Amino acid sequence: MSDTSERITLSVNGISQEVTTAPSRSLLEVLREDLALTGAKEGCGVGVCGACSVLVDGKLMSSCIVPVGMVQGRAVTTVEGLAAEDGTLTPVQTAFMECGGFQCGICTPGQVVAATALLRECPDPAAEEVREWMTGNLCRCTGYYSIVAAVLQAAKAGQGESD
Amino acid sequence: MKFLRPETLGEAAALAREHEDAKFISGGTAVVLMLQQRLIFPTHLISLTGVTDVPGWREVRRTETGLRIGGGVLLSAVARSAHVRELAPSLASAAGVVGNARIRNQATTGGNVAESDYASDPPSVLVSLGATVEVDDGTAARIVPAAEMFTDFFTTDLRTGEVVTAVHVPAAGPGSHASYTKFCSRSAEDRPCVGVATAARLQDGVLASLEVVLGAVAAIPQRWPEVTRAALGRPLDEQVAQEVAEEYAMLVDPIDDHRGSAWYRREMVRVQVRRSLLELAGDGGAA
Repeated sequence: MSDTSERITLSVNGISQEVTTAPSRSLLEVLREDLALTGAKEGCGVGVCGACSVLVDGKLMSSCIVPVGMVQGRAVTTVEGLAAEDGTLTPVQTAFMECGGFQCGICTPGQVVAATALLRECPDPAAEEVREWMTGNLCRCTGYYSIVAAVLQAAKAGQGESD
Repeated sequence: MKFLRPETLGEAAALAREHEDAKFISGGTAVVLMLQQRLIFPTHLISLTGVTDVPGWREVRRTETGLRIGGGVLLSAVARSAHVRELAPSLASAAGVVGNARIRNQATTGGNVAESDYASDPPSVLVSLGATVEVDDGTAARIVPAAEMFTDFFTTDLRTGEVVTAVHVPAAGPGSHASYTKFCSRSAEDRPCVGVATAARLQDGVLASLEVVLGAVAAIPQRWPEVTRAALGRPLDEQVAQEVAEEYAMLVDPIDDHRGSAWYRREMVRVQVRRSLLELAGDGGAA
């Protein structure tokens, strides 16, 4: 698409960024190619598989179908922005490692971001709620059991923290 | 393609009139997919995200007659809203099964109506509940019944410059029961192969009103009032469920696509309409 470029400012993982690009380009493409944040992946490219999951103003979205022009002035969090600055992993990330919530790993950033969004909205989900929420994140390796286990373990760990 | 960010509805509508090949974009889930698939070639995208002068644009409000859901309300918010769950529970269920959690966080109520996607969940429910759509082109507003809003595949009654500013849903009264059944033929996160929206009101154990609307089987939501009218005055029981299901299966002229052949859809209409009505009966309908 031969589009007119625009200067777009957005916050990515707490850092203010300015990109000059066509506003109809996908947020995913801008994150990966302009900002070198390659955690979010392109899977289906049509909002179905969840590999490109990011948070926009805290809400879970598919960055492949968000035109970057729509996030002007908004705050984006990618998987790179979840862990603490010193590298300490979040309870979700730790639980995915401990439960083996991945095999090949390509869907993992999306799974971790989606699980993070779920636990922010619903800190103590039932297994069924986890399955329902995570239906939007496809995984072709694990068979999902270890992913659900990881999210439930993270929920427990998170509660431990706040107690 | 230029991205325009008007701040008022009037500006947005004026831009749409000025640029013949412009498209409004709200959440973007519909427009972006159509762009990617090269189904549309707009010269301008007019973002409604920055429009600030539409009252209740992102709010669900209770009104004297029911609910007013602003055009900018996300489908995830419709699904979760305590007001919608109380006064229009079948709409909350339908909004909660659209796509996946990410799509529902991006797609808006107004966008869902304006897209008129034959395989989307909410439209058939809006028709079954007798909802009306408030549209505005910045100079004049008008109200269109949901049943007249959807006119063909991806085509609506909206005129150039008109934006869906709200959807009005009458509140479910005493004795009212409604449901939305989404039947998927492939995977759980898919669009429906057949959607069935029902709404019934029972008085003294018999049907005082009945609506059965099919989604995803044709260009627009399908209903046969002469069939449902024949059930009035009777209890909502197995026989009525069976009769309505048979009639609907006979009358429907289903599409053929990758979610099901016309033959399969017809069979699923028969099964799903019957089941939906029996579930509605189990919800407290039949004695």
